[in-house]
Amino acid sequence: MELLQEIFSWHSLSRNSVYISLLIGMACPLVGVYLVLRRLVFMGVALPQISSCGIAFAFALHTWGVIPHFEGSEHGLALFGASLFTLAAIALLSAMERGGRGMVEGRVGTAYVLAGAWSILLLVKNPYGEHGLLERLRGEIIAISDTDLITTGISFVIVVAALLVFQKEFMLVSFDREMAVTLKKNLLFWDAFLFLLIGVTISMSVLSVGPLITFGFLLIPPLIARLFARNMRQFAIFASSIGAIAALAGFCVAYRWDYPVGPTDVALLGVLYFAAFAIKKLIGLFRTDPAVKRVVRAQPPRTHR
Amino acid sequence: MTGDLLLTINDLAVGYDRQVVLDGIRLEFKRGSFTGLLGPNGSGKSTLLKTIAGILPPLGGTLAFKPIDGRDPVIGYVPQREALDPVFLLSSFEVVLMGVTVRVRPGRFFSKAEREWARHCLAQTGATEVAPKRFSQLSGGQKQRVLIARALATKPDFLLLDEPTAGIDAAATQAIMDVLRRIHQEQGMTILMVSHDFGIVRRFAQDVIWLHQGKVLQGPVSQLLSREKIEEIMELEFN
Repeated sequence: MELLQEIFSWHSLSRNSVYISLLIGMACPLVGVYLVLRRLVFMGVALPQISSCGIAFAFALHTWGVIPHFEGSEHGLALFGASLFTLAAIALLSAMERGGRGMVEGRVGTAYVLAGAWSILLLVKNPYGEHGLLERLRGEIIAISDTDLITTGISFVIVVAALLVFQKEFMLVSFDREMAVTLKKNLLFWDAFLFLLIGVTISMSVLSVGPLITFGFLLIPPLIARLFARNMRQFAIFASSIGAIAALAGFCVAYRWDYPVGPTDVALLGVLYFAAFAIKKLIGLFRTDPAVKRVVRAQPPRTHR
Repeated sequence: MTGDLLLTINDLAVGYDRQVVLDGIRLEFKRGSFTGLLGPNGSGKSTLLKTIAGILPPLGGTLAFKPIDGRDPVIGYVPQREALDPVFLLSSFEVVLMGVTVRVRPGRFFSKAEREWARHCLAQTGATEVAPKRFSQLSGGQKQRVLIARALATKPDFLLLDEPTAGIDAAATQAIMDVLRRIHQEQGMTILMVSHDFGIVRRFAQDVIWLHQGKVLQGPVSQLLSREKIEEIMELEFN
C-alpha cells in the first residue's frame, strides 16, 4: 500500500509513467481483441516494431537535416513517424493479403525483422538515440511529460469511443465479410477505419513505452481473456482489466526491485497466461460432462475373476 | 406478386481471380419462386450464387434486379456455416442481430423494435431456445436455423442459401426444409437454394437450375427433373 502511495504521489517522478502504463494496459487489449478475432496475431507483433522504426526514421530525418529541429517538436515528429509507418504497413500488408499471393506469415515476419534491424541502425548513430530512444525501444519507460500523458489519454478515449460506437459494424465486417457485402456495407471503409484505430493505438503506445510493452499488451491480455470469457462483452472487459492489472502490478514490481518496466510487464503477462491456461485445464479436468456421468452410471459393475 | 420478374441474368460469366468457371449464363427469377441450384462439386454453384449475391463481381454480362417499391431488392444471404470462425464469442441472438444492421445506421444502437424483430426471426426458424447459446457451440442444424433467421432479419426480398443441408442429418434436414417451405408459402419469399441433393430439390423447389458439364439448364422441377429428362441428360453424358 505504501508502495502504491509512493508511486501515485503527486511529486513522484514515476506518476505519469504509471498512468501511461495503465492507459496502455487498458487500451491496447481492446484493439488487440480485433487482432485476435481476425487472426492477425502476427500483425500485432510486427506493427509495434514497424511503428518504432517509423520513430527512428523521423529522428534520422532530423539528423540528416531533412527536417529542421524545433524545440519541443520531438513528440510530434515521433508521432508522425510512428503513425506514417504503421498505417503504411497496415495498408501494404492488407493490400498484399487481398492479392492472396505468397505467405502472410512470411511477409509479416520479414517486415518484423527488417523493422527491428532498421530501428537500431537508424538510431545507433543518432544523437536522439542517446536521449532515451534506444532505451524506449528496449521497453524502458522513461519520463513521460504531462503533455504526452494528456495526448495519449485523449487519443485512447477517442479510439475506445469509436470502438464502442461502431462495434456492430466492426463486428459484422470481421465475423462475416460475405454477409457484410450483401448488406451493402463498404468493407474497404470499415477495414480502413478499424486499422486506423489500431494504428493510432499502436503508434501512441510505442511512442510512450516502446514496442515490447505494446505488443505484450496487444496480444497476451486478449489471449488470456479468451480462455474465460463467455461473450464478446466479457472478452473485451476481461482483456482490458487484465491489461490494467498487469500494468499496475508490473510497474510496482519494477519500481520495488528496480527492474525495467517493459520486460517486467511482459514477463508478468506471460506468468498470468501460463497460470490462466493451467487453471482452465484444471477446470476442464474436474468438470465432467453430465452425458459422460450418465454413461458411467449405466455401466455394470466390474467383476473380477 | 408471383410471376413478376425479380432478376434477369444475361450472358453472365462467373469465376474467381479472372478465371471463368461458367459463362453465357441466361436466367430469370420470378418473384415468389423457389429455385434449387443443382450440380456436382466444383460445377460453379456457389460461385454463381455469390455472384448473384454481389459477393463476387461478375466477369462479364449483366445482372438486372427489378426495383421493388423504387428500391433495390434486399438480399438475405445464408453462407455455408463452416465459413464462420468459432473464435468469435457471439451468441445466436447476436448473430441474428447482424441481419438487422442493414436498417440501423452506423453508430446507432439496436432499437427495442429491431431486437424484437430478431427474436421473431429466431422464433420463425424454431431457434428461440438457442438464442442465448454460443453460436460456435451449436449443432450443424441449429447453426443453419440461426443463419436463416439472420437472413430473415434483413427483411429480404430474395433469400439465397448456400448448401443449407450439407453435412446435416436427415431429421435436421427435414426441419430446415420445412422452415424454408413455410417461409416460402406464408411470405411468398423468393428463394434460391444451392444443393447437390436431387431429392431435396425435387421435393421442395418449384424450379431448378442444373449446372451440368459447363451448361446451365433452367426449368420447372416437374420437367427438368423428370425421369425421362434426367435419363436424356445422363445419356448424353454417357455418350
